[in-house]
Amino acid sequence: MARMKFLCDMERCIACHGCVVACKEGHQLPVGINRRRVIIINEGKPGEKSISIACMHCSDAPCIAVCPIGALYQREDGIVLVNKEVCIGCGYCFMACPFGAPQFPRGNAFGARGAMDKCTFCAGGPAPTFSEKERRLYGQNRIAEGKVPLCAGMCSTKALLAGDGAVIADIFRERVARRGSGQAWGWAKAYKE
Amino acid sequence: MIGSNAAEAHPVALQHILYAKEVNGAPLIVVDPRFTKLAAKATEYVRIRPGTDTAFLMGLINYIIENDWHDKEFIRTRVAGFEEMRKVAAHYTPEVVEDITGVPKEQLARVAKLLATHRPGTVIWCMGITQHHIGSSNTRACCILQLVLGNMGVSGGGTNIFRGHDNVQGATDVCVLSHSLPAYYGLKEGSWKHWCKVWGVAFEWIKSRFHSKEYMHKKGFTLARWYEGVIQEDKINQYTPIRAVVFWGCASNSQSQYHKLKKALDKLDLVVIIDPFPTTTAAMCEKDNVYLLPSTSQYETEGSVTSSSRQAQWRYKVVDPLYESKTDYEIMEEFVKRFGFADKFYKNIKKVPEDVTREIARGALTIGLCGWLPERIKKHTDNWHTFDIDTLQAKGGPCDGEYYGLPWPCWTETHPGTPILYDISKPVAKGGLPFRARFGTEFTYPDGRKENLLAAPGVANPGSEVRGGYPEFPGWKTDINVIKKAIKRGMAPFGNARARCYCWNFPDPVPVHREPLHSPRPELIQKYPTYPDKPDHYRVYTRFASEQKPELAREFPLVLITGRMVEHMGGGAETRSNKYLAELAPEMYAEINVKVANDYGIRDGEYFWIESPEGGRIKVKAKVTDRVDERTIFLPFHFGGYFMGKSLAANYPEGHVPYALGEPANIVTNYGYDIITQIQATKEGLCRIKKA
Amino acid sequence: MVKKILTLLMLVLLPAKTIGAEILRPYGPVSPVETLRKLNHLLLGNWPDEGREFISFIVAFKNYYFYVLIGVLGVLFLHYLIFGPRRFEHRGERIFYYGLFTRLVHWGAALSMTLLVFSGLATLFAKILGGGSLVMSLRSLHVGAAFAFAPFAILLFLALVKDMVPAFYDLKWFLVMGGYLSRQPRPVPAGKFNAGQKMWFWLGTAGGLVMFYTGYKLYQFTAPVSFLREMLKIHLYLGLAVLALYFIHLYMSLVAIKGALKSMLSGYKDSEEVALMHPKYYEKVSKD
Repeated sequence: MARMKFLCDMERCIACHGCVVACKEGHQLPVGINRRRVIIINEGKPGEKSISIACMHCSDAPCIAVCPIGALYQREDGIVLVNKEVCIGCGYCFMACPFGAPQFPRGNAFGARGAMDKCTFCAGGPAPTFSEKERRLYGQNRIAEGKVPLCAGMCSTKALLAGDGAVIADIFRERVARRGSGQAWGWAKAYKE
Repeated sequence: MIGSNAAEAHPVALQHILYAKEVNGAPLIVVDPRFTKLAAKATEYVRIRPGTDTAFLMGLINYIIENDWHDKEFIRTRVAGFEEMRKVAAHYTPEVVEDITGVPKEQLARVAKLLATHRPGTVIWCMGITQHHIGSSNTRACCILQLVLGNMGVSGGGTNIFRGHDNVQGATDVCVLSHSLPAYYGLKEGSWKHWCKVWGVAFEWIKSRFHSKEYMHKKGFTLARWYEGVIQEDKINQYTPIRAVVFWGCASNSQSQYHKLKKALDKLDLVVIIDPFPTTTAAMCEKDNVYLLPSTSQYETEGSVTSSSRQAQWRYKVVDPLYESKTDYEIMEEFVKRFGFADKFYKNIKKVPEDVTREIARGALTIGLCGWLPERIKKHTDNWHTFDIDTLQAKGGPCDGEYYGLPWPCWTETHPGTPILYDISKPVAKGGLPFRARFGTEFTYPDGRKENLLAAPGVANPGSEVRGGYPEFPGWKTDINVIKKAIKRGMAPFGNARARCYCWNFPDPVPVHREPLHSPRPELIQKYPTYPDKPDHYRVYTRFASEQKPELAREFPLVLITGRMVEHMGGGAETRSNKYLAELAPEMYAEINVKVANDYGIRDGEYFWIESPEGGRIKVKAKVTDRVDERTIFLPFHFGGYFMGKSLAANYPEGHVPYALGEPANIVTNYGYDIITQIQATKEGLCRIKKA
Repeated sequence: MVKKILTLLMLVLLPAKTIGAEILRPYGPVSPVETLRKLNHLLLGNWPDEGREFISFIVAFKNYYFYVLIGVLGVLFLHYLIFGPRRFEHRGERIFYYGLFTRLVHWGAALSMTLLVFSGLATLFAKILGGGSLVMSLRSLHVGAAFAFAPFAILLFLALVKDMVPAFYDLKWFLVMGGYLSRQPRPVPAGKFNAGQKMWFWLGTAGGLVMFYTGYKLYQFTAPVSFLREMLKIHLYLGLAVLALYFIHLYMSLVAIKGALKSMLSGYKDSEEVALMHPKYYEKVSKD
C-alpha cells in the first residue's frame, strides 16, 4: 500500500502562500484556521528560505498517542485523520505535535475550543465519503476522487509534493542529484523510515 | 531578470525559471534595488540604485564587447548601427557604472562573464525597467544586450516581458491606448481607412464623429496623465477640458500622484466605474457624480485571451452571470444602442464574441492575427493535451504540427503560428521569421557612415526565394493576398532586415543614462541631465529639465520605489475583498531599512508619515527589514480605502467595504513620465519620512 | 583496473561537479545545515526535549486518575464497612461553629467545586461517555464553573484562613490518622479545624486558584506551547489531589460523621463532638 507523504522542497518554495489560500478556499475554512502555513526565515537577507508546513501525517504520530479518547487515527495509507464528532477539543494533540498542525476554532459556549481541525491530506474524514456531512466537517475528499491534495496541486513552482512517499522521494532525489543541493525540512522528523 | 519580482508578481512563471536553473544549470541573475523573494532564489543578486538600469546594461554591453565576447557573426549579418552603439557604450566602463549604479565593478564583470558563458540566455523584465522617465531606453538597452550576445531568434533566448495578467498582451494588441488603432496601425489617415474598410463603415462617418480632423490623428491623453485634462495644472493641448471618465476594469490607485487624480475625480461631471467590485476609485469620489455598473468576472463570460508569449486561448464561460451583473459585451451593447450607431457597430458582428474575434483577424494584418479564427483557437484550447510542453508543437491529433495558441504572427488560416520571433532556422510558413524591415533599406549615420539595413547576403529563412535581405512587400499591411503570396515564396511579408541598435527616430538613438527627475545624486544631474521639457506630450505639457532640481534631494533624502506583493493583485479591489487573502496581508506597510528606522526612531509596526515633493502624504506601518537598502523605501501599491490618514470606508456601498484597507502608495509617487510612452516613473521618486 | 578507471573518472568529474556546484550554489553565505537548524528551532521550538517527554507524561497519566479514583473510593468503602459511621448523641449543648457568611461561601464553593470535579472527570473519561458534543458541553460547563468557583474560593480563603494556620499538633493528628481508624471515639489533637480539614482547605482554595490560573491559560490556548505543557502538567497533578480530597471530604461529611451536614447548614455543632474531634478549640470555648 502506498504511504502518503508531504515534502516541501526549500530550493523551490517562493513563499507565495498559494497553498495556504488554496487549502482555505477549497475547504471553506473559517478565517483564523490554518491547516497549512508558510514559514520564512532570514527574510530579506541572503539565505532567505521558506517552507510550507501542515500536518505531516507522521508515522507513529504523537497526536494519536496522546489523544484521550481515540478521536485521532491513522489510515492504512498513513493519512492521520480526526473524528470531529468524537473530539472533545482538549488540545493535547496540539501540545504533542512538533509541527503545530492541530487547529482549534472558537465558537462554543464561553468561547471554549471546538473540535480539532487539521490537514486531512484532502482525504475527508470518517463520515461517509462524498457525503454532505463529510464536506461540512472536513472539506473535500480529493484522495477519493483520485486527485492530489489541493495545496500540492496548486503549488506554483512544484515545491510542495504530495503523494506516495516512494514516488515523491524519487522526484526529490532526482532534483537534488541534478542541482547538487537539496533541503526538505521535517521529512526525517515525521517519517522514521 | 531585471526590474522584475516574478516570485511575487508571477509565481507560476517562476516554475519555468527554477526549472531552467535546476535542470539546465542556468545561473539566475537578479538585478533589483530590493532583495526580493526572487532575489532569494538567485545565483547572483545585484543591488542597483533605482533608475540606473540603462547605465548598468550599457556597462554590461561595453564589458562584453571589450572582452570580445560578443556574437560577431550575428552582428555582422543581422544587426545595424552596432558601431554607433559601441561608441556610446564605451563611456560606461566598470568604474563609471559603479559610480552611477552602485554595483561593484567586480560584480559587473562577473555578471558579464556569466552571460557570455551561458548562451542562449533570456532577459526578463517588468515594471522595474519600464516605469522610469527613461523607461523606453531601459527596454532598448535590454534588447541591445541580447543582440550583442546573439541571443535573439533562438530557443531559450530573446527578451521576455512578463505582463500583469492573462490578457494584458491581448489588450495591447488591440491597442486599448490613445496613440494607435488596433494592431499598432497608428493614427494616420491610411490606418483609419484600413480599419473603416474592415468595420464596413464610411471613413467620412468616422470623421464626422470627431471634433475636427486634426483630432483623428492626434494622440490622446494617456492613463498616466489624463487627470491633467481635468485639473489642468500642466497646460493641455485640447479644445476642451475632460468632463467625463469611464473606468472599465481599471484600478485608478495604480496611477502616480493619486492625490491629484482625486482632485480630478471630484471635479468631473461624470465618473462611470464598470467593475465587479466597487473599486478604490468609487470610494475616492466624494462628489455625487459616480455611477457603478456591476460587470461580471471573467468566469461568467467568454472570449479569446492572449498571453505574453503571444498565444491565444479560448476562455469558456464557467457560470452564468450572478445577480444583476452584466457581461462587458452586454454593457457595451447597451451603450452602443443608446448612442444610436448599433447598426454600424454591429455590422459584421452577429454572434458575440466569435464575430469580434473574426473581425480582429480580418483587420490585424500587421501582427499577423489573420489566422486567429475562433474555431481554431477553440480547437487548440480543447486539445491542449496534444501539444508538447517544451516545443509547444502538437504531435498528431487535430492540431498536428501547429504551435499551441497560434503565437502571432499567425499569417494565414493554415499557418502554425510563430513560437519564437526572428528565428531564421525555420521556413516562414513553418513559424520562422527574420527581423522586420520597417525603416527603409539604407541609412546614413550622423558621422557619414552608410549602412545597408537589410540582412546580409545568405541570411534568410530556409526556402526563401531571396537568399539574403529583402525589403517589405508593398501593401502587406492592408492586403491579406500580399501576405499569402509572400509566404508562398518562403518570405516574410515584412521583409528581412537588421535589428537596429541605433534608432534615429528616438530622442536617444542609443540608450544613455539620464538621472531620474528626482535624483538622490544631485551631483550627477549635470553630467547625465534629463531631456528638455515636452510641450505637447499626449496633449499635455510634460516637464523634464525644469522638473529636475538638484536641491530637491536635500529636502527629500530617501528614494521611493513601489511594487507588488504576492497576496494582492493590481489595485486590489478583488483581492482585498477576499477574506483569505486579506487575512494573509491585511495592512498597508512600508519597508524601511533597519538603519533608517533607527535614525528616525521608528520601530517595527509603528505608523509613520511618508511625504512626496508633490504634497502627497500617507500614514503607513513600518516594516523594518533588510530587503531595502539604507536610502530606499518600498511600498506595495495594492491598497486603497484611505486618503492621507483618513478612512474612506464610509464611501463604499453598504456591505462592500473590502476586508483590507490601506493608504494607496501612489499618493506619494512622484512626477516623472517616460519621454516616449509617457509611462509614469513610479520606481525612481524621492520622499521624506516623519514619525507619526 | 576498474579502480583506475574510476579514479580517472573521478578526476574528470569532480572538478566539473565543483564548478557546477559553484554556479548553482544557493545565494549567500548561509550553509544548508545552518538553515535547517534555524528552521528546526523556529518551528519545533524545544519539542525535541519537551515534546517527547510530554507525550510519555500524557500516555502514563491517562491511567493515574483511574487508579486514584478507584483507590480512594475503594478505601472509603472499606472504611465504611469496617468502622461504620460515627454518631454523636445530640443531647448536650450546641456550639456555634460556622457563621452565616462562612456557610454561604462554603456552599457556593462546594456547589461549583462539585460541578468542576464531575465535569473534569467527564473530560478525562470522555472515552467512556463517547466524546463528542456531550463531553464538549461538559467541558464548557467546566469553564463556566471555574469562573463561578474562583470568587468563592477567594472569599472562603479570607473567611477561614485565620483558623487554618498549620500547628505542630497537626502532625500528631496525622500520626493517629485523626482517630478514624478505630471504632472508639477518642479525643484527637486538633484546633477548630483538624489537620485533614486544613489540608483540604489549602488545597481547595489556594490550590484551587492555581487550578483556575492554569486552567485559564489552557482555555485561552494562546501562550507558547511549552508553557501550555507546563500548565497542563500542574493542572493534572493538582487535579489528582483535589479529586482525592474531594471524595474524602464528601465521605466524611455525608457518610462518616452523622450530623456534619446538618451543622454546616445550621452553623451549630454538638459539644460532645467538638470535645472529641476538636479538643483544643473546645478548651478555648469552654474557658470563655
